[in-house]
Amino acid sequence: MNKVKPEMKIIFFVVTVLFLIFLFLPMIMLFMRSFETDQGFTVTNYINTLSDTDFLTAIGNSFKVSSVTALVTTVSAFVMAYAINVTRIFPFLKGVLRTGILLPMLLPTITYGFTIMYSFGNQGLLTRLFGRPLFEIYGFNGLLIGYVIYTLPPAFLVIHNSFQYIDKRFIVVSKLMGDSPLRSFLNTIVRPLWGTLGGAFVLSFILSFTDFGIPASIGGTYTVVATQLYQVMLGSIPDFNHGAVIAVIMLLPALIGIMLLHYLEKLNFHYDKLTHIELIQNKWRDIFLGSISLLILVAVIATFAIMFIAPFLQHYPFNNSFTWEHIIDTFQSNDLTGVYKNSLFVSLLTAVIGTIVAYGSALLNMRTQLKGKSVMDVIAMMTNTVPGMVLGLSYLFLFNGTSFKGTFTILIFCNLVHFFTTPYLMAKNSLSKMNPGWETTGELLGDSWFKTIYRIIIPNSATTILEMGSYYFINSMVTISGIIFLITAETSLVSSKIQQLQHFAKFNEIFVLSLLIFVTNLFVKMLFNFLQKRTTLH
Amino acid sequence: MEEVTRLLTLHQIRKQFDKKVVLEDITIDINQGEIVSLLGPSGSGKTTLLNIILGLTKMDHGKIMLNNQDISHISMRKRNFNIVFQDYALFPNLNSYQNIVYGLKNQKVKMPEEELQEYIDFLELRPHLTKKIGELSGGQKQRVALARTLVTKPKLLLLDEPLSALDGVIKESIKDRIKSIAKELKLTTIIVTHDPEEALTLSDKILIINEGKVAQFGTPKEIITQPQDDFVREFILRQLQIKRKNIYNLFGDYHE
Repeated sequence: MNKVKPEMKIIFFVVTVLFLIFLFLPMIMLFMRSFETDQGFTVTNYINTLSDTDFLTAIGNSFKVSSVTALVTTVSAFVMAYAINVTRIFPFLKGVLRTGILLPMLLPTITYGFTIMYSFGNQGLLTRLFGRPLFEIYGFNGLLIGYVIYTLPPAFLVIHNSFQYIDKRFIVVSKLMGDSPLRSFLNTIVRPLWGTLGGAFVLSFILSFTDFGIPASIGGTYTVVATQLYQVMLGSIPDFNHGAVIAVIMLLPALIGIMLLHYLEKLNFHYDKLTHIELIQNKWRDIFLGSISLLILVAVIATFAIMFIAPFLQHYPFNNSFTWEHIIDTFQSNDLTGVYKNSLFVSLLTAVIGTIVAYGSALLNMRTQLKGKSVMDVIAMMTNTVPGMVLGLSYLFLFNGTSFKGTFTILIFCNLVHFFTTPYLMAKNSLSKMNPGWETTGELLGDSWFKTIYRIIIPNSATTILEMGSYYFINSMVTISGIIFLITAETSLVSSKIQQLQHFAKFNEIFVLSLLIFVTNLFVKMLFNFLQKRTTLH
Repeated sequence: MEEVTRLLTLHQIRKQFDKKVVLEDITIDINQGEIVSLLGPSGSGKTTLLNIILGLTKMDHGKIMLNNQDISHISMRKRNFNIVFQDYALFPNLNSYQNIVYGLKNQKVKMPEEELQEYIDFLELRPHLTKKIGELSGGQKQRVALARTLVTKPKLLLLDEPLSALDGVIKESIKDRIKSIAKELKLTTIIVTHDPEEALTLSDKILIINEGKVAQFGTPKEIITQPQDDFVREFILRQLQIKRKNIYNLFGDYHE
């Protein structure tokens, strides 16, 4: 491993200062505000908040709906991952399932709520298909559907990924040993995946518990912690210190969840060697799991179908004649094209700056001997723990009186910090797999450290860098929880605009904007996939 | 008789990691154009010694002299030594040719094209120049790595387990190639290996290291005929005797 160079120290300094300003200081400020009262620093705010029955109801609701969501999501994601990895259903169908289930990730969660309304509401598309309303959508049911759609893609990715690391030979061994189907299933699939399944449950729980978009659109009178926080901060009588307490309380389940995730990771099996093996033929298993998986996918897609239909109808559901009017109107409205441009601008800059920062941090940690480099892992763990709403609120407290307030810069840095963990881990993983002798070789051949990074390390992690950029871009396009406290009329983004439009019942505009985000993200995803393939080929 | 010039002196080198002493009192002289093997079992400290000579690892005590000049505190880059790592550390985003000329692009004085072509031909790399690293065999990778190192004209060539990733005939041909490089270019070469047969057939001198200390330093003949301690006798020579016995048995003409 190469020696510590001054340029490494400079990058280390810049990255740590950045996270000091945009992560540590805001969090300290948040904690301070939660204890601040007219009588100085006391626990009065906590006592008041915890004795507020409305808040306690909201917490109870959040726990209830998030737990049920986590259960439904984990089981559904497991079934789909199982169908893809351990059955012999058509490869094409596997591809459809694998890609289709990830589509909701391209949309802001606030859109989910409106598509649920337009699908399952009294005049909804699916209500009409079924001939009657299936259930009351506002409140628990709507939240549950929304949260499940929201958490299914990441939970699926986690379980699907783990399935790749399970040695499927053991299924054959178990059969040869005379195990019953149940015992074989428990020993060769469930047991090795136990940690991952627990992890998917915890992840789904945290995501639902901290999401703002879905309850903001379809929560109705069923209050949850996220809407409580929003009400307290931006309602008719804002109470910042009270808000800080809620934010700290919101942080707790996330904190416990992350600790649980670390514990659960230890339960995972690590096979020494993976072997590819032909799966045992079982027609009924394939038909059963294939059908359920397809049903889950169809249910998710059907919920979103309305989003692709309504903007092209005169006035759904009353006048269903085709029109381009809503699309044209949206593109002619400076207001709406303005927020779209803002979103593009923020997402592009987040993708560029975020990728540089995450890559730089991973580079320092994995490819240098710098003292204190593991602080990057601590940062990544923190950014993984802090929910977007809590982060955004802490920025509001810290930067309120500064020139950062109401700027695009604050939005970009909020997104950068909020979504830091995943791109950082992507880079870390990729850099750890590279030959440790490259920098030394480069140096012996006359390169400076920067030159080797530029000529060798970066080109060899090009596909990962593209993936990091695409992750930052798409998440910045869809996020609402992180930026909801930070936007102003001038810096309004598409997701926050959707939140405002609902108060004027402008659902056509909401769907057109959502469609715009979807198409943009799909385009970016496809572009980056194409670039990744090209890079791999070269 | 060729005149012998001393190139490198290692004097009382000592290194410890945490509380474990990995090298203790290593003192040897290496002459210009010699092939010297550092031989010892895993964990004996031979790779650490190689890295100390290279300038990658700092020693705790001792001196390294190059042409009678103390280079102990001179940086890795300024020593102008070069190494071929065990796994070659070739750059997979570049093809064979781009790997070979990588270091030349950083040099102020450009190497004449004919000279570069000579190196390429000498290592028989012409048919492989446009190939990506992933398309090369183990032996070809080894030769590309050697070429990339040699064109920078190092004062000292270091090879870390150069034959361990190769097998059979390729191993033998690379062994010959290393010998001819050292002799034709008069390039002093230090090789790390754990294989006694490799060390004894490849080198002019061998430094046998056991638990961080010099067990013996001498020519192959000296080592075979005058082993200086039990370790050399039991560990190094015994291995060779067993091998010899097995091969003789195979051909049916072994007599104790």
